[in-house]
Amino acid sequence: MNHMQLAWRSVIRKPVKSMLLLLVVCVISVFLLSGMAASNASVAVQDKTRQAVGAGLLLVENEANRHTRLDRITEKIGEKEGSLDGVHQKKLETADGPVWMSYTDSSFETLRLEDIEKLAAVPGISDYNIATAPMAVNPVNFSRIEDPDLDQTGDKLGVSLIGNRDMTMDFNVLSGNVTMKEGRMVTREDQNVCVISEELAAHNGLKIGDKMEFNDYHDRENADAHAAEIIGIYQVKQKMTPYMSGDTYRSENVIFTDLRFPEKAEGAEGDPLFEKAYFMVEDVDQYDAVKEAVKKVKIGWERYDLIDNKGNLETMSSNFRDLQKISQIMIGVVAGASFVILFFVFLFWLKNRTQEVGIFLSLGIPKQRILGQILLEAFMIAAVAVTLSFAVAPGVSKITADYLVSQQIEQAEVEEELNEGKVAKSGQDPEQEVTGVHVEITPQMIAFDSLGIVVLITTSVLTAGISVVKRNPRDILTS
Amino acid sequence: MILEVKDVDYAYKSQKTKQILNHVSMQFEEGTFYTLVGPSGAGKTTFLSLLAGLDTPVKGSILYHGNEISHQVLNYHRRHHVSLVFQNYNLIDYLTAEENVRLGGGKDPGKLLEEVNIPREDWKRNVLKLSGGQQQRVAIARALSSEAKVLLADEPTGNLDENTAQEIIDLLKKTAHELGKCVIVVTHSRHLAEEADEVIQIKDGESV
Repeated sequence: MNHMQLAWRSVIRKPVKSMLLLLVVCVISVFLLSGMAASNASVAVQDKTRQAVGAGLLLVENEANRHTRLDRITEKIGEKEGSLDGVHQKKLETADGPVWMSYTDSSFETLRLEDIEKLAAVPGISDYNIATAPMAVNPVNFSRIEDPDLDQTGDKLGVSLIGNRDMTMDFNVLSGNVTMKEGRMVTREDQNVCVISEELAAHNGLKIGDKMEFNDYHDRENADAHAAEIIGIYQVKQKMTPYMSGDTYRSENVIFTDLRFPEKAEGAEGDPLFEKAYFMVEDVDQYDAVKEAVKKVKIGWERYDLIDNKGNLETMSSNFRDLQKISQIMIGVVAGASFVILFFVFLFWLKNRTQEVGIFLSLGIPKQRILGQILLEAFMIAAVAVTLSFAVAPGVSKITADYLVSQQIEQAEVEEELNEGKVAKSGQDPEQEVTGVHVEITPQMIAFDSLGIVVLITTSVLTAGISVVKRNPRDILTS
Repeated sequence: MILEVKDVDYAYKSQKTKQILNHVSMQFEEGTFYTLVGPSGAGKTTFLSLLAGLDTPVKGSILYHGNEISHQVLNYHRRHHVSLVFQNYNLIDYLTAEENVRLGGGKDPGKLLEEVNIPREDWKRNVLKLSGGQQQRVAIARALSSEAKVLLADEPTGNLDENTAQEIIDLLKKTAHELGKCVIVVTHSRHLAEEADEVIQIKDGESV
């Protein structure tokens, strides 16, 4: 009677032992497959922003290049007071001796208008918008909304202005968060106009047609006031995330203006701070070709980052990279725990089969052949268990992935709640929601799972088998 | 002479000071029925284990047809030179009578089961469903299915009633005298000892 025949008889005629191992291996296999499937799950995200804007390209400043330029200009100025290309250097006398201070103005930070216009001229770009950074200014003939419990000592005591070439393409509008309650949005022909929040309008009793005055908050008393006519009143679905801390940047105090008004109100006419430029692609089907054409335009690209319309989705998937990490941890934990469980299962097997092992040894069958038979039995049972797991795994994987994704979403929501009003962001987050989680058991996963089970069983049997190999046949027979 | 034991000493590894066998020397011939008798703890089962190659002596040597049994060939020795019968039968519990006999070697298990008087209807039954006497007869059939020239038995009638024990004794005698094998049986049974061609007494680890 050969190995295989003996193993088969043992499996069939000792059903309790076989069923126990079958169950254990099946559960392990299902967990391994679920882990792999969840780690490769594709999370379908509905990006409402993207739906609203269609295809577009966003131009922003490259942060690394900003630092490089700043270092280079500071080096050029040397150890002396002076200004160059929007960078200013001053010597401050402190108790510890002189300290050099560098700061920049808008001319250093801004996106270059000529570069924006070059990109806007690329065939396939149907329209574009330029948006300024939120600019702090002093309210002259109205009062802002303040939190009475908040210490305003460090605040600029102003409101913030965001200039737009075409407000319909402002990110707060594109995301669907800002909508008009009354009046209209700012267009490229407008000058000295503004759109204010419904809260600010109610707070000051302002209406369309009224004029609001602003001046430089650095010199509230003497700086010239600049007036802007209210052409619209907006409302928000959720408060815009403040650009910086303080009531100057709180959502209700954000005022949208025409593109060049903020620099006037700040008292720096001719020195704008363009923070973002958005280029709308006319034909979505030509998106990639237009993007390539834009990238070929000769501008100083090192200054910029060009974010394509997948940017939002990439951000969203990055959240779900955690899903992959969690799944991989799950696979590791399952593999480790499985080894321990299988080790004890086989130890239990061998303990219960000591007499059988002794009989085989007395018949002159070598120890390795006896372990080989145990291994063969385990593989026979595992083959059935793994096959069963293939049927069960898709359902379990879906449940696992859904659960992990829901946990991720919950965690993200908690974090967002905790960070609300504390973290500076340059725009409204796009509205994205998970619409489905698709998990799939691929042939590759099945192969990895089967291989994993083979490795786990082999190592467990061999480890548990050490107790048999170390003992002499007489001890085994008499124990 | 098929088996020769030369000046064998044995002690447990954990209790090296306590000698189980002391300078034991013996010779065994084919076609002879031997019984090993002696008080409990005298070292009879240990001696049988050494002959079976289940353990190795601390000192001395055991020769099979003049060749020393060493560690390297113990499996071979157990497979081809000796066959074993135990008091508790030691049958594989998930196999039938016929399959258990088949484990011993290549001979026709049906013929052997017939020789040891196992009814044909029991051949394909699980061994645990057979009586004690039948199980021991299956164990002997398994031992006989081997090509081994030496049959070693440890208290083969210990768990059996008088009539069944006699059947087993007759089988062992037949094995020695008709099949020409060397049969060595460890026993406490005076009756079984009296049936042997040669009785060897072991006392305090020494052959008397």
